[in-house]
Amino acid sequence: MSTSRVPLAPVERPIDSKPWSKVAPRLRSTVILVSVLPLVASLGIWASSGVDFIVALFAVFLPLQLLGGAIAGFVGYGRRGIADGLLVVVTFFLSAFVLILLLSVVWSVFATGFQALSPHFFFQNNKYVGPTTDLSYGGLGHALVGTILVVFFTTLITVPLGVATAVYITETQGKSRGLIRTMLQAMSGLPSVVAGLFIYSMLIASGVSSYAGYAGSLALVPLMLPTVSRVAEESLRLVPKELRNGALALGAPSWRAFFMVTLPAARSGIVTAILLGIARIIGETAPLLLTIFSNNGTNWNLFSDGMASLPTYLFLNLSFGTDGSIARAWGAAATIMILVAVIFTLARVASAPRKARKAKK
Amino acid sequence: MSLEHATKRDLQMKPYRFADKVFFRVAALAAYSAIIIILLVLIFLLQRAYPAFEQQGILAFATGVGWDSSVEPQIFRIGPQLYGTLLIAALATVIAVPMAISIAYFIVFIAPRFLATSAIILIDFLAAIPSVVIGLWGLIVFGPVAVGWAETLHEAFGWIPIFSHDAGTFANSPFIASLVLGIMIVPIISSVTREIFSQMDQEVIKAAIAMGANRESTLRKVILPTSAGGIVGGILLAFGRAMGETVAIYFVLNLVYDKVNWFEILNPEGGNVASLVLSKFGEASQTEIEALMAAGVVLFVVTLIVNALASFIVNRAQPWRNV
Repeated sequence: MSTSRVPLAPVERPIDSKPWSKVAPRLRSTVILVSVLPLVASLGIWASSGVDFIVALFAVFLPLQLLGGAIAGFVGYGRRGIADGLLVVVTFFLSAFVLILLLSVVWSVFATGFQALSPHFFFQNNKYVGPTTDLSYGGLGHALVGTILVVFFTTLITVPLGVATAVYITETQGKSRGLIRTMLQAMSGLPSVVAGLFIYSMLIASGVSSYAGYAGSLALVPLMLPTVSRVAEESLRLVPKELRNGALALGAPSWRAFFMVTLPAARSGIVTAILLGIARIIGETAPLLLTIFSNNGTNWNLFSDGMASLPTYLFLNLSFGTDGSIARAWGAAATIMILVAVIFTLARVASAPRKARKAKK
Repeated sequence: MSLEHATKRDLQMKPYRFADKVFFRVAALAAYSAIIIILLVLIFLLQRAYPAFEQQGILAFATGVGWDSSVEPQIFRIGPQLYGTLLIAALATVIAVPMAISIAYFIVFIAPRFLATSAIILIDFLAAIPSVVIGLWGLIVFGPVAVGWAETLHEAFGWIPIFSHDAGTFANSPFIASLVLGIMIVPIISSVTREIFSQMDQEVIKAAIAMGANRESTLRKVILPTSAGGIVGGILLAFGRAMGETVAIYFVLNLVYDKVNWFEILNPEGGNVASLVLSKFGEASQTEIEALMAAGVVLFVVTLIVNALASFIVNRAQPWRNV
């Protein structure tokens, strides 16, 4: 191939060498250039001509950046690199666009919501609070209690059901696995408001019960069950067959093989399943509005009287629409998000790989 | 003791120990609860909704227009709401899918590991933002911004019929509702997609790269076809979520009852069955509640059809999953 022969001495390749991750200097400078230029150009056009930001973003920045990506791809990898460059630009653009919007949700909740938060906001209830009462009085303590009770009761019912369903689908050779799976799929599409209507017609319209916390919990069960069982099923499915068969071959009965081998192996997945289930229902509003309505006082009893919950508290305050009540709604939103964040952190810790925890000891 | 030769027997998976029988029976019972719940939902809703169906006629109820409890005989038809539900959910899905797949692709195949780990946590967290919080944000923060977008869209593309606009305000239109919904379902789709991407057989991707494929052709020819079934499943899951979504839309959509808004997505005239139930439930009379129950039945049946379609597609795309 090459005309001049270079004496080749065997060279030991360093273990951590990554020749593929080296970027040619020319490509690197092109990449930097094409990432900066469109930004500068579109910022300049936006600032000087005064067009809408969104127009500048889509009509100026995006085409320029696409062109830049194509050029960088061409410089780096020739004609076949053009598509790569475009792909990377589109990926970055779309991801960043929607991430900024989603982060704006989080940011506005915390920035606005924290103004409403104060110790008494968590401990006091909504008695004697009207739409115009200012924030120095009253809070969502009653709603916090309600949400925790309702969600706890739902979890208590749903998690054993969901995990056992997943066991039926993955571990047994039962005949109706396909049917069960279809039913769960159907249930996962059950609109939350229909779940509320269902419990309303079953318990409340038929006169079995009046508005009560447990009715809300029951309305949340069909919403949580598919999430729990689907995620649990996925995680049980991921456990290698060899482990399970190994346990069975050693003479373990199926239930021991499940509880001592499969379940521990899938532990983090099961925890994730419970977590995602809770996260799925903690903000459900419509079913609770239809089944437990609300309450301005604190109610510790799941089985009698209406009960407030964080989502319904948020909803009703937002519906009032006065400045004070909207501030309370933001406070409730911040509280819900804090709860979700706490659940997430707990689950992360619980499902952290065992190796990492042993290393810490 | 004489040794008898072993008799040939069939290996079978049937549990033979008592404890195993109990274990499997409990699992089966729990699994059948799914069927029982679905049946209960249908039975109780149908029982309550029957008078409304009888009075209005099923087809007229689902496709007709008008919702008025003050005239005699009362008119309860949910045609505009049903169509609006489908339209908004479809638009939201169309908006969300490219973004969601981009995020998943970025996390799994482009981002360095530390960035990917934090992005995964972030996406999972965002997927858990409750819809009522999204509704609050959509009404107060995002709504005014999106009104500006809608105006721009109308000025630039107003000659295309779907972007025409003849009502007073740009707020509370199906366009804004579907943007809010789309943003809400992005994390759902992208966490499913990411899961599928990261569980893909890495050898296949490495093989493609070794054969000289570039990023784009690996994505188009290897990654997407391999994971298509799962992604479609995730998308339909999110579509189902979007159809049944109540509170996120309730605050950002103006309902019309007496006409179907076929395609003018910038006009503040939309429809949504779930929002209808929520907005009418408070002051509803007995017959109106029956009609709302009937609306719930229709919504449930439609989501059932969508989901049946979804599982059919997923099963066709991933036949190995049902083995």
